[in-house]
Amino acid sequence: MAKKATRKKTKLDAVTLAVLNKRFEAVTIKMANTLLRTGRSGVLNLARDFSTSIVTRDCELLAGAESLPIHHLSGADLMARAMLDLHPDIKPGDAYLHNSPYHGCSHPADHTILVPVFDKKGMHRMTVWVKAHQADCGNSQPTTYMGHARDVYEEGAIIFPAVKVQENFEDIVDVIRMCEMRIRVPEQWRGDYLAMVGAARIGEREVLAMADEYGWETLHAFEREWFDYSEKAMIAAIKKLPNGSATATSRHDPVPGTPPDGIEITTKVKIDNKKAMIEVDLTDNPDAMPCGLNLSEGCARTAAMMAVFYSIPDSVPTNAGSFRRIDVLIRDGCIAGGGKHPTSMSVATTNLADRVTNPTQRAFSMIKDGLGLAEAGPIFPAALGVISGKDPRYNDAPFVNQIFLLDTGGPAAPTTDAWLTICHAGNSGMCFIDSVELDELHFPFLVKERRLMVDTEGAGRTIGAPSGYCEYGPVGNTDLEVAYVADGAINNAKGTRGGGDGARIQNYLRHKNGKLQELPACEDIILKPGENIVSYSAGGGGYGPPKSRPVDKVKYDVDEGWISRKRARDIYGVALTPSGAVDEKETRRLRR
Amino acid sequence: MRLACDTGGTFTDLVVEDDRGQVHMFKAATTPADPVTGILDSVDAAAAGLALTRAELLARSESFVHGTTHAINAIITGNTAKTAFLTTQGHPDILVIREGGRLEPFNFLVPFPKPYIPRALTFEVSGRIGADGKVTETLDEAQVIKVIAGLKRKKVEAVAVCLLWSTVNGAHEKQVGKLLEKHLPGVPYTLSHVLNPILREYRRASSTAIDASLKPMMSRYLGGLSDRLRETGFEGRLLMLTSKGGVMDFADLAEAPIHSIGSGPSMAPLAGRYFAQTDVGEDTAIIADTGGTTYDVSLVRRGVVPMTPETWIGQRYRGHIVGFPSVDVKSIGAGGGSIAWVDEGGLLHVGPQSAGAVPGPACYGRGGAEPTVTDASLVLGHIDPAFFLGGTMKLDAKRAETAIRDKVAKPLKMSLMDAASAILRLATENMVNAIEEITIHQGLDPRGTVLIGGGGAAGLNSVAIARRLGCSKVVIPELGATLSAAGALISDLHADFRALHYSSSTSFDMKGSNKVLSDLTKRCKAFIKGPGGGAKNSSIEYFAEAHYRSQIWEIDLPLRKGSFKTAADVARAREDFDAAHEEVFAYRDPDSEVQFVGWRAVARCRLAGKGLGNLARDFERSGSAAKSRKAYFAGKGSVSTKVYEFASMKSKPVKGPAIIESPFTTVVIDPGATARRTKSGSLVITP
Repeated sequence: MAKKATRKKTKLDAVTLAVLNKRFEAVTIKMANTLLRTGRSGVLNLARDFSTSIVTRDCELLAGAESLPIHHLSGADLMARAMLDLHPDIKPGDAYLHNSPYHGCSHPADHTILVPVFDKKGMHRMTVWVKAHQADCGNSQPTTYMGHARDVYEEGAIIFPAVKVQENFEDIVDVIRMCEMRIRVPEQWRGDYLAMVGAARIGEREVLAMADEYGWETLHAFEREWFDYSEKAMIAAIKKLPNGSATATSRHDPVPGTPPDGIEITTKVKIDNKKAMIEVDLTDNPDAMPCGLNLSEGCARTAAMMAVFYSIPDSVPTNAGSFRRIDVLIRDGCIAGGGKHPTSMSVATTNLADRVTNPTQRAFSMIKDGLGLAEAGPIFPAALGVISGKDPRYNDAPFVNQIFLLDTGGPAAPTTDAWLTICHAGNSGMCFIDSVELDELHFPFLVKERRLMVDTEGAGRTIGAPSGYCEYGPVGNTDLEVAYVADGAINNAKGTRGGGDGARIQNYLRHKNGKLQELPACEDIILKPGENIVSYSAGGGGYGPPKSRPVDKVKYDVDEGWISRKRARDIYGVALTPSGAVDEKETRRLRR
Repeated sequence: MRLACDTGGTFTDLVVEDDRGQVHMFKAATTPADPVTGILDSVDAAAAGLALTRAELLARSESFVHGTTHAINAIITGNTAKTAFLTTQGHPDILVIREGGRLEPFNFLVPFPKPYIPRALTFEVSGRIGADGKVTETLDEAQVIKVIAGLKRKKVEAVAVCLLWSTVNGAHEKQVGKLLEKHLPGVPYTLSHVLNPILREYRRASSTAIDASLKPMMSRYLGGLSDRLRETGFEGRLLMLTSKGGVMDFADLAEAPIHSIGSGPSMAPLAGRYFAQTDVGEDTAIIADTGGTTYDVSLVRRGVVPMTPETWIGQRYRGHIVGFPSVDVKSIGAGGGSIAWVDEGGLLHVGPQSAGAVPGPACYGRGGAEPTVTDASLVLGHIDPAFFLGGTMKLDAKRAETAIRDKVAKPLKMSLMDAASAILRLATENMVNAIEEITIHQGLDPRGTVLIGGGGAAGLNSVAIARRLGCSKVVIPELGATLSAAGALISDLHADFRALHYSSSTSFDMKGSNKVLSDLTKRCKAFIKGPGGGAKNSSIEYFAEAHYRSQIWEIDLPLRKGSFKTAADVARAREDFDAAHEEVFAYRDPDSEVQFVGWRAVARCRLAGKGLGNLARDFERSGSAAKSRKAYFAGKGSVSTKVYEFASMKSKPVKGPAIIESPFTTVVIDPGATARRTKSGSLVITP
């Protein structure tokens, strides 16, 4: 049993508080840098689909700079707690592999390494962790997103509920061997595992160095006071918001295992500026379903919390302190975070999570102009599929990886046009986009086309991201397997306060003869030589009426080929002369 | 005689090395509308100081090394040429989509960056080359000629051409280049595979776009400066400082002006390295250049000036990537002008906002009401209000006190002195963070290293920074206030050649790799013979860009030799890689194959002598300085503090608390620290 430290109260000055905050942030950034530079799979070293954080000994999130929001706002706490509950005898030198959505992880593809940090007497003081989306996690099919899996058994991922993977800083090779037997391209997984453990150990080393310099009591005092500071900042921010409530819904397209019209998520937002509390109620939603879309508790909570922070100034830290002012209600057994083992949560970080974040951020905008966001585009154009096959250039060596060729989807904000490459709501633009050249170098395929589409933006006072077109297929005499779980072919991103909706997602197979065949939402397809995948990413919704968009911006959009003159006139009420100048008189008439 | 001239935002610095090897510092106001005027003013100032005419001074100068922020300023203010972007058919949005990535996921107030070249000036060119260099679709010349006709109609002033896989097969780009010369004569263009043969199309396209957009104006600027210097009798060599920390002939730079983006700041590490070696015999040092608004830091390791593959104009992900390695100088918004403020939660911040030159710190009395680091130093008694910039500018201590009291002390319920001290401490902390990013984050422990403090404001808290980092020594060179110009005097002529060639530790292609290396050697030798002719000496360094199998971010691996002779040579390179990987990333993977992706050879030609001379005493302090004054130090309170004049200090150590002043800088020696002066004129402080 790890000994409990005696809890003294040290009081820190404002300067030390600021200094230590930066130091902890720096630790997480350093961990992230190690992972990016040394990861082996494209999903880590190209797309940067990972996060790093520090949690307190009480399992509260302390710092997580530059992490993917959906990975860590809630979940860090739950995972660290599971580690302590399952292993009352944690020791220095331990590391734990955790990917169980039933024990706080986001979804099984997100392997997480937790390293508890100890003082010299063996008392547990903090936990650092690294979470990275794997190229493969041993699912029954070569994809990390099993949208149609009836349950965890059909899904097939090998589940690690905080399993000890290192003791005395050495691997427990039994666990490594299990992974090598069940995860495709095992040397790629092992390389990523090394990078993750390396990053976590660097985090541990840094925290220990801080403890040497400041003493544990100071660090613990920092935790307390930093949380209090963050809560104070959050209270100040909420007190500036209007009192109010709004209910919004969002519907995920059907996939096997859902009702024929898909899944509707209802979210109820309540701002109480007197008590300085924000409540997001997710209880009024269906029970878990026999598919892979069910949300883990971590993802459901985070999806709602993210939307809250979009209406809070960026200066308010996102940690356990500010989280005290947010209440996310979840119902046992519910698809939104209440599912139990063996419910499959294979796709929990993206599809349905976005169907929580999107209406929640839109609900804020319904309460007052200036708050919230329009909806972000739903995810999984086939340009973000998991590809696999054999590479004829390297003696048919097998490969599997998620590519990030083109996503867009950015929602319009109250005063700012969309951030183009937001990827999807839960990602918030943190992932990278692949270089065509690097992808073509690493995989036997060719990217024929990648471009942004005219007249596809979510119209509005501020605009949502346009749709992105991407076409790719195998090169040489080889097949290419592509798997994805698309949402948004039917239910696109909603605009808000009069803003237009985002473009729909579309995925096609281009036959050898050039003909296009629309592909279903949830697909695992093997392309033959000469065949191509064609993918249109989902656009984001607009904010506010398009006719209130500043005229010079509309003109710029036309000049730059984002929209046609016709759209400028029909949707935005801006007329241009043949030479391209604004026709002021006609524009006034159109906008009347 | 040699001249080194650095045009900064406020001042144009000129450092003159006379024929006896003594060095002289001069300053003139920068003239942004016509920077050449400011340069000639600085030449006049030097001529006056040395009792010569402008013509005499120039006629006697054998070289003129120039650093300027002209290129970067043009980019930042949007004054570059109207440039078109020619890209592969089907891939028009490379400059729009970029590589994704974002800072601050909850911040929706920052707009998505606009492409460096607008979409309206982007044109798709037929043809496609695959990853193996094979042409999968041919280039249709008629289509290209049509595109060029469009460029003419749009009155394009420069053209950037970046086609997919041109690094492996440049035929299509060359073809486009020829057509441009024929159908759009006189309009400068840049081909991506010629300028910057790197993988990753966004980076290469961004380099190409930036370079092409600078060509017209940099040709004009360099031509104009050259003409006006030559007119007045200058017959020596004209050299420009580059982002890579070397110099290039004006004519070569006009062909690839992108290399002048970091011209200036890139010299600080060179100068810093020199002083670390000269003054304390160290080859690893942290170099910090403190100006009014920015704090530039870099780390010299084992005598090697640090390079970064990721140079950005503006913020990472929000700005534009340069796509070239450059001297790794990290810049943060911190300096004498950084503003201190308290937020709603009661947390003190310093910067990144700066009071700038206008209105400036509160104590300047030019209408600034926000407390700054300079105000804090003044309140603490570290700066003498009567001797700022050698007494040419009087400071108002009362205004500084009011600003700090109202904006910091009262909200935090602190005394005035504690508040001023806290401002300095937090400014110190910001600077420490910047240094930690280039040290700790790169796996280097700053403890025990040397800190070189350059820039006019370096002396205010360098001792505090050094203590916080555990540095063993602080060096404040006497030339520190013009560190970049000083670096220019000792900079090398250089050329960097690079080739892609895959090889692996498990099946090493000895013949192929050696061929690439020997080609690089030939190019280096040609350079040494050509532009490097007459150099004092020259060298070639070799690097492999390598990673473990499936990693995609390379580590720069210095090679012991320029060829591989035996299997043992390969094994040694592999071991060196493991060691380098462990040093940076805390682990090695000896079971994994190591892949060598790119090869580089760097030719360096030393134009200058071995070192810098001492600073001549061209200025005498007017009026007598107080011998001591009250200064406040955290933990000690207000104590009587001795004041010394920098120029007349001898080698006898001075114990802190003390203040050492010159017309260019003020150096604070905290209690417990000691300072001595070296032969080169620098201060060496043991913090």
